[in-house]
Parts: sequence; structure tokens; C-alpha cells
Amino acid sequence: MTEAFFKTTKEIIDEGYDNLATEFVSNKHLIYSSPATLSFNSPGAKGYGVKRAGLAVPESVMLLVSPSCCGRNTSLFKSSPEYKKRFFFQLLDDTDIVTGRHLMKINDACCEILASLDKRPSAIMICITCVDALLGTDMERICRKVTETHNIPCVACYMYALTREKRLSPMAYVRTSVYSLLEKQKRENRDMNIMGFFSPLNDKSELYTLLKNAGIENIRELARCETFEQYKELSKANFNLVLNPESRHAAQDMQKRLGIPFIEMLRLYQPDKIHNQYKLLADAIGVSFNDSEYLDNTYKKIKEFKERHGSLKFAVGEILNGDAIEIALMLVKEGFKVECVFATIGELNYRFLKTLSELSPDTKVYSNLSPTMLNYKNDDIDCYIGSDCAYYFNDKPGIEWCDDTEPFGYQGVSDLFDALDEVLSK
Amino acid sequence: MKKFLKYMSPFAPDQSGVCGVFYELGGLIIICDAGGCAGNICGFDEPRWFDKKSAVFSAGLRDMDAIMGRDDKLIQKLSLAYEQLGGKFAVIVSTPVPAIIATDLRSLERMGEKKINVPCIAIDSTGTNYYDKGEEKAWFRLFETFAKESFEKKVGKVGIIGATPIETGFKDAGNLKKYLSEKGYDDAVIYSMGTTLEDVTKAGECEKNIVISLAGLKAAEYLKGKFGTPYEIAYPFIPENILAEAHKYSGKNILIIHSQFAANELRNSIGNTANIKCATWFMQDKDFACDGDIALSGEDDLIELLEKENFELIIADEDTLPLIKSTGYKGDFIDYPEFAVSGRLLG
Repeated sequence: MTEAFFKTTKEIIDEGYDNLATEFVSNKHLIYSSPATLSFNSPGAKGYGVKRAGLAVPESVMLLVSPSCCGRNTSLFKSSPEYKKRFFFQLLDDTDIVTGRHLMKINDACCEILASLDKRPSAIMICITCVDALLGTDMERICRKVTETHNIPCVACYMYALTREKRLSPMAYVRTSVYSLLEKQKRENRDMNIMGFFSPLNDKSELYTLLKNAGIENIRELARCETFEQYKELSKANFNLVLNPESRHAAQDMQKRLGIPFIEMLRLYQPDKIHNQYKLLADAIGVSFNDSEYLDNTYKKIKEFKERHGSLKFAVGEILNGDAIEIALMLVKEGFKVECVFATIGELNYRFLKTLSELSPDTKVYSNLSPTMLNYKNDDIDCYIGSDCAYYFNDKPGIEWCDDTEPFGYQGVSDLFDALDEVLSK
Repeated sequence: MKKFLKYMSPFAPDQSGVCGVFYELGGLIIICDAGGCAGNICGFDEPRWFDKKSAVFSAGLRDMDAIMGRDDKLIQKLSLAYEQLGGKFAVIVSTPVPAIIATDLRSLERMGEKKINVPCIAIDSTGTNYYDKGEEKAWFRLFETFAKESFEKKVGKVGIIGATPIETGFKDAGNLKKYLSEKGYDDAVIYSMGTTLEDVTKAGECEKNIVISLAGLKAAEYLKGKFGTPYEIAYPFIPENILAEAHKYSGKNILIIHSQFAANELRNSIGNTANIKCATWFMQDKDFACDGDIALSGEDDLIELLEKENFELIIADEDTLPLIKSTGYKGDFIDYPEFAVSGRLLG
């Protein structure tokens, strides 16, 4: 029986991005949806899949039009207070699929939804799946009909797992969908939006302070909108700050429709790179940021942590708020050892991998998706970061680092080491 | 409106049923999907996933695989996984995508067997049917493929057909064995739970089979024809606390909503059966139904039933309660978790 497949960082870089081993290319092998990676492999299984994401529009409801199998796991969160009475299902049978008659029933289903609710929703999000992807359903037309008939905004959400590796993945598309109800209005000079996540950034992130000090008065995020009225204010923004590449298409759409330009940043954990990014952001919006105190404090925090716990040997997983390879790179740069990383290699993190291979050529990189991970035997580590690692290394100390509150900037790094300190001090 | 759910979530689909039957038998299980179906099975409908490893994989289909019908690519992936992991057999579990593009599953079986030289079974689940339909096909194909050889009958050995976590609400065989032991079955083989493929191949050794779900009936008929093994229908896995609570209502008008054999067993246990109606969201066979029993095709059917009848007690999964309450029902309620409905386990 084959042992879990891995390559060292050096081996991967020596072979080159165009020659990645089969196990690192997901469409060349069967996919192992291990307990460690369920949320990653299945667009709707856990975390913010398309279904939950579509309901980011405040006070909206969702109609899932699909075979019963696609909505099965909705039980997991349907009963939680924020989703109560927000999910409805129109189940397809074989005849529906063959004849497409289910499309004629969507309007009636929406009528039943509206009749069943005490309060009129802000919008109906219609979620469709692989079935309609293959049928070539024009859901935009059906949504327009629902809007005309019931005088309510209606938006399509595409839970097309078949297109997960396309340029516009289902999660990128749904981000566009949830901002699509915004209408053009007068932009305010001192207003901006932060885009990228379905839950808010950590309140303590210095990003807010830096932006406020630079004169920004209203910083809005979709996840902080509790009402549809608050949601509508998102189109007042003078610019959008995109913190996750999956929101790029949504930002481009807002630029085109609403005239709101955008700036992109990445969520990074290397303090020097965070500093560089802030400098670039400040230049882009024509201000200056004084982040030296935050930078110094972050380095101080890391130094103190290292003095207290020594040069630990880490495992870093990919189910966390960040990029596994970038976090591994930060740890190595700060003097820690990274024994192994569980990651999906893409164009974006390949450049981090290059630097990591120079500093730590023997670090092993595993693909969580490889069937061989069924036989994974734990590496020798002191501590882990990532919810997938929590599954692999359940006898070791570590943190999952994938809370719904999103870490960002120096505060994110600081909180990461605080969380590690807490668990290692027990 | 038929097939419209306002109060409940969709039930366990047929592909989950197929997976549940083969899960512990040492084969490669390939969910022929894009990722979402495998996620639903492993993350929700297969409670053993988190503590009992099994080689369940997604085919990782992409749009061009579906459009171009790249069956050869799937077989290549299967072959690679077999080289890496081995396996006693392979099962290809169909989902909505292959169903829509009319994948030739028989051909996949042949191609798979030729490539890896172990039995390859492809099951035509569609995702539009419920778990019991998938289980029915899986149970039949399992015994048809592996129970071919006759053995001398072993005195007292009993085969249990139909028990899966989805059907019983128990995720390991320990609890089920306890129930069986209480009924005097000490040498029982609970197929697919705590047993192996070898137990399936030796199915002919059993003196008798007990069929605990309608989904297992065709397989039991097959074994009767093949080895002359008689079978009986029973459902010995109803928790004591539910039985005790239900008995207090004997003589009253009662509605039981559960899979057919479990509901029938509960009805017989309560007694005064004339006042008790059984309903199910899943398969119902008229041969095992009493007058007034009903197969519910959706929420509307239950609403209609409750508007027509005056029940004093309803025994059903708690997830049904909001729907029941929406009809103005004022009677009593006993929660009998049904995994295929709510995903809640009994143990």
C-alpha cells in the first residue's frame, strides 16, 4: 500500500510549476474528501459554501432548485437562528430533469414562499446546481420573471461544482451575486467597503485605525449589514478594498455597474510584506500610514513567543484563515521549523513556495486531495496550525485558526501567536 | 405544491444509501460526481466517516468531463487509486451528473474490471431518489456479485439484511448486536456493519435471514432462490425508551412516521393496531401495509392527512414537528429520530 504522497519544497520548485506531480493536480486523480478537508473539497459541505454565502444579502431567503441530494446537508445550519425560515427547497425528479418542467414551477414556488412568511424578504436568491449547468438553464431570465411577477429582487446563485476550477469558480460567482442588488447612487468621498469575506474582519485589526486616521469615515462590510437598508449603503463607497482574490470579479462588476474602483490586497502573515502592502495602499489612496508601531509590536510579539517556546517544529494546514504556504514561509523566516505543509499549489502561492524552498528545502508538501492521504502517518511535529492538521495531529497541541471572524494584518499575526501561546502554555 | 419543502430539509438521497451498504467492505468507492455529492455523503450521511476510514472518493468530474463523456479518464483515475491503495472491489456510484449525460454504467463496470482485475459494480443512483432506493440496488448487487458459492448451513446463524446507519440510526454494530442478543440471536451477521466481504460471500451459511428494511427484500429473495435461505421481516432496533413511552398511548389514535418496517414493528408492539396508522417518506410496499397507511410524497401529503384525521399522538422525527404544528395539531408527540430525515443518530 502506498504511503501518503509528498514532495519537498525543493523538489517541487526544481520540477517547475508546469510539471507539478499528478497528486498535486486535482483533475488527474480521484479526490479524497477526508474528514480533514470536507469544507474545502465540497462547495456546500461545511463553512461558507454557495448556499450560506448566497444568504449574505440581509433579510433575503433562498430557494434551492435541485435534486434532493444537493440540499441534504442544509440541515446542518438550517435550524440556527440566522437561517431560520430562510431556506426553501424545490426538489427535482427525473421527469423535471428530462423535460425542464421544474423551471415553470419556480414562479409558483416563490409565490408559496412569500405567502408563508410573516415579513416580506428583501430578495429571493435562487440557487441551482450541476443539473442546471448541464441543462444550460437561463436562470437570469427566470429571475427576471420572478421579479416582474412578485415585485421582488431575485438573484441566481450558481452552485456548479462542475466548474470549480474555472476562472470564475462558484464561490467567486456567488460573491458577484450577493453584491448584484446594489444600485448606483452618489458616492461619498470618505466611504469605502472591505470585500472578500462572508464574516467581518476582527474588530481589533489595525486596518480600521489606519483607514480612519487617513480620513475614511465609513468603512462598510457586507457581513456587518444587518438590514437591507444598510446593505444598500454599500454602493456609496468611493472605493472597494478587496482582500480575497475570489472577490475580484465582484469588484470588477461593481466598478462597471456602479463606478466604484477597487484596490486589491492579500491577507499575509509576513510582517515585512504587510508593511509593504500598507505602503502601497496608502500610495494608492493618496495618504500616508504610520504603521511602524504595529510592525515593531508584531516583531516583539514573535520574539517573545520564540523566547518562551523555542524554535518549534510546525505542521501547517490549508483549512485556516490564510494561505498555508505563506504562513509556513513566515514561520521559517521568523526562525521556526516547518516540517510539513498541507496545501493546494496554485499560481498565487507558488511564488511563496519558491522562497520557502530556498529557506527550508526539506519541508514536505502534501496534497490533502490525494487518495494516498488515506494512509497518512503523522510527521514528527511540536505544534500545528489549521483545522485539517487538527484532524491529523489530534494528540499534539495546535490551533485550528479558522474562526468565522477574519484575522487581518499585524493584528492577525499577533493574534496567531497569542493563540499558539495559549495552547502551548496549557 | 408537490416536491416543495417549506419546513423540512431534503432527505438522504440514493447515492448515500449505496455508499452506506459498501462502506465497511474493503472496496474502493467512487462517487461519480463533481465533489458536492461526495461532500454530502462523507460530511453528513455517513456518520462512520469521522472514525472509521474507508476508501470513498469523488471522481472530481469537471464540466468538460461531462460534456465530452470522458469515461476513460475516470477509469484511469480508478486504476491509479487501485495501484496506490488496492481494494477487494470497486463500486462506482452514479449521481445526477452521470444520470443526466446517460453514462453507460455497464460499460464502466466492464472497463473497470478489465483495468484492475477485481469485481467492479456500478450503481445507477440519480440523486433524485431517496436512500432506500439506492440501498435496495446496492444490497441486491452486493449479494448477486459476491454470494455465489453454497456452504453448509450453520445452526443458529442468522443474517441481518438492511441494517445501515441511515436505516437504523446506529453507526456501529455494537448496539445492534445488543438488541439482537436480547431477541436470542447470538450468532447474527449484520451485513455491512461490523462484518466483512467474506461474511457476504458466506451468506449461504445462514439458516435464516432477517430483513429489517424494505430495501433488503430483493436481496433476501435472491438468497432464498440461490441458497434456499428463508427470511422473515422484523425490526428489532427500536429504542426501549421510545417503546415504553409509546405503550402509554395504546388504544389511542396514533400516527407513526418512519421507514415502513420500523413503523410496523412499533405499531405491533403498541397493540390495538386498528387505531394506529403508519406513514413513511420512503418506500412502502402494499403487502406490508395496513388499510390507511400512507406513503408521503411531500409536505402537502402530511398536511392533508393531519387535516383529515384526528390523531392524539404522533411518533416521528422531531424535524417534522414544525410542519406538524403548522396544521394546528394539538396532540402529543414522541420524537423517534430517523437519520434519513434529520441526520440524527440514536447511538
